[in-house]
Amino acid sequence: MTRRMLHGLLVVLAMALALGACAPAAPPTPAPAKKEFTFYIVSHGGPADPFWGVVIKGMNEAAQRYPVEAKYFGPEKFSIQELVNLLNSAIAAKPDGLAVTITDPKALDEPLRRAIQQGIPVIAINVADPRPEGERIPYLFYIGMDEYLGGLRAAQRMLAVRTPKRAVCAIHEVGHVGLEARCQGFLDGMKEKNVPVEKLDIGTDPTKAVEALKAYFTRNPDTDALLTLGPLGTDPAVKFLKENNLVGKVLHGTFDLHPGTLSAIQEGVTLFAIDQQQYLQGYMAVTWLYLYKKYGLRPANDVLTGPSFVDKDNVGLVEALIKAGIR
Amino acid sequence: MGPETVEAPSTLAARRRAPAARLAALRRSPEVGALAGFLAVFLGFSAVAPHFLTLDSLAGIMTIAAELGLVAIGVTLLMIAGEFDLSVGSVLGVSAMAFALMARAGAPHLVAFLAALALAAAIGALNGWVVTRGRLPSFIVTLGSMMFWRGVLLAVTGGFPIAYEGTSALFFALSGRLPGGFHASALWFLALALAATVVLTRTPFGNALFASGGNPQAARALGVDVDRVKRIGFVLTAVLAALAGIIQFARFGSVDPLRGEGVELEAIAATVTGGTLLTGGYGSVIGTVLGALIVGMVRNGLVLAGAPAYWYRAFIGLILVVAVIINLRIRRR
Repeated sequence: MTRRMLHGLLVVLAMALALGACAPAAPPTPAPAKKEFTFYIVSHGGPADPFWGVVIKGMNEAAQRYPVEAKYFGPEKFSIQELVNLLNSAIAAKPDGLAVTITDPKALDEPLRRAIQQGIPVIAINVADPRPEGERIPYLFYIGMDEYLGGLRAAQRMLAVRTPKRAVCAIHEVGHVGLEARCQGFLDGMKEKNVPVEKLDIGTDPTKAVEALKAYFTRNPDTDALLTLGPLGTDPAVKFLKENNLVGKVLHGTFDLHPGTLSAIQEGVTLFAIDQQQYLQGYMAVTWLYLYKKYGLRPANDVLTGPSFVDKDNVGLVEALIKAGIR
Repeated sequence: MGPETVEAPSTLAARRRAPAARLAALRRSPEVGALAGFLAVFLGFSAVAPHFLTLDSLAGIMTIAAELGLVAIGVTLLMIAGEFDLSVGSVLGVSAMAFALMARAGAPHLVAFLAALALAAAIGALNGWVVTRGRLPSFIVTLGSMMFWRGVLLAVTGGFPIAYEGTSALFFALSGRLPGGFHASALWFLALALAATVVLTRTPFGNALFASGGNPQAARALGVDVDRVKRIGFVLTAVLAALAGIIQFARFGSVDPLRGEGVELEAIAATVTGGTLLTGGYGSVIGTVLGALIVGMVRNGLVLAGAPAYWYRAFIGLILVVAVIINLRIRRR
């Protein structure tokens, strides 16, 4: 480093310091003077669950940007009874807005209708009430993923690469409503293009899942598209594709992010993973409740935070965001 | 009862002859019934499922049977001694998780391996101690143990899979790929099945297992420490479940909180299909090996035969029951 450069650097530093000294006159971010509203998020997910940790982070960061207080309530262990209890306590505290996961529409029907009648604005997050409008709980709107659309988009994404000869949806938890909807969307998307497609029950045990896939591909060797529905399907599928030299020959897509999924995308084994950007479910819930309370503004439709695609192009960014607790 | 109690005079006459008597004795051995069930399932799938009779398919069956079979060997020994262990699935998951956490923390794999097995041994010893000291039914005690350790697994993982990237010679020895699509787990399974058979049929401890399950009072009168035998049985069962869990982890490098769920019932299915009596005092590890292979064949064969996805589980149940019926009929006739 030359003497002149050093000199220049010193000048810049001195200027920065001088500016910094004047800075307090204009605060960098206007700190909200007082909390105008209090909003509660009541969900079936325990606060220790990393998935919900991201939702809570979204909620907190929105609460810092608006003059509101936001609190999260979720049972430590999955329990509908506990969820209803928490919801009842939340309603009793008369908040200015509620965001609730409609994990069990029947059980939540009475308390939520009561809250709405008391004039508390209610929005659904993460899980919607599946009943048709009119029958369902009259919440304002839903913020979350559309599982069926996720499966449909997965099929369309694969079809954009090439039309598979045969496709299979490997389901690891048969009868799980969300997974079934993902599968159904995929089946419908593939059938639209006359691709033979079916479901395969692989179970949650990775060894048996690999063998089930192997047997399926042995019986149907023309299969060249595979959808898995979460990490319990991704790991065995990636193992299977690698062990049987099918990488590049079979289009593999999956749902939900975890380390194994990200490295499979980086290695080119997996084409994409579909994610629901749950940070938005916390952030947008607080934001919309604030805008609704303050100005009466609301979106005309449900707000879909997913399906959102993670593929080779954005996997690096997503990995950094996972470390930051935002995805 | 029914048909098997009424025997035609000609059959009775035939039994008096020496070779026929030997045949009858053979029929009474647990393995023969299991072998009949095995052959029925094997021939059935060979007929209806294309590609069933290929090396690939055989290797797949072996891989499924190996992990299940390792657990089932322990379950068999313990069932012969007159006790159940429903906690094996949870122990399998917990041990794999313990191994994963230690490996991630940088522990040498061999140390982590031995420590995870030791943890399982401690869980097994606790199961055995509560059952024998409290004079409690093992069904209930290990049901509680199953739930408890599953809960621990859920709490520690926070509901998410724990992944670990890394390999070692130990990983290869546990579940490395062998020529023909086989995995090293198959060798562990066969070696330990052989060892368990020798222990069961050729050693005083094997005798003590049969005696403890068949007639504990008589066994005690003859000087067998029935409680100690059962406690050892619980420890062996837990350690074998842990071995299966770590073998699986070595292959996949991840463990999720559902790992091993349902294995306890599948292991009992393999054991009973293999001719071991739920009531204790009677059974065979070779039969269990055949039972585990039957489960593997059913899983593999149904997909190869193109069974519709949602009927698949129903078929598994049906075929298992049929295999058990064949097994028992052969033995009783």
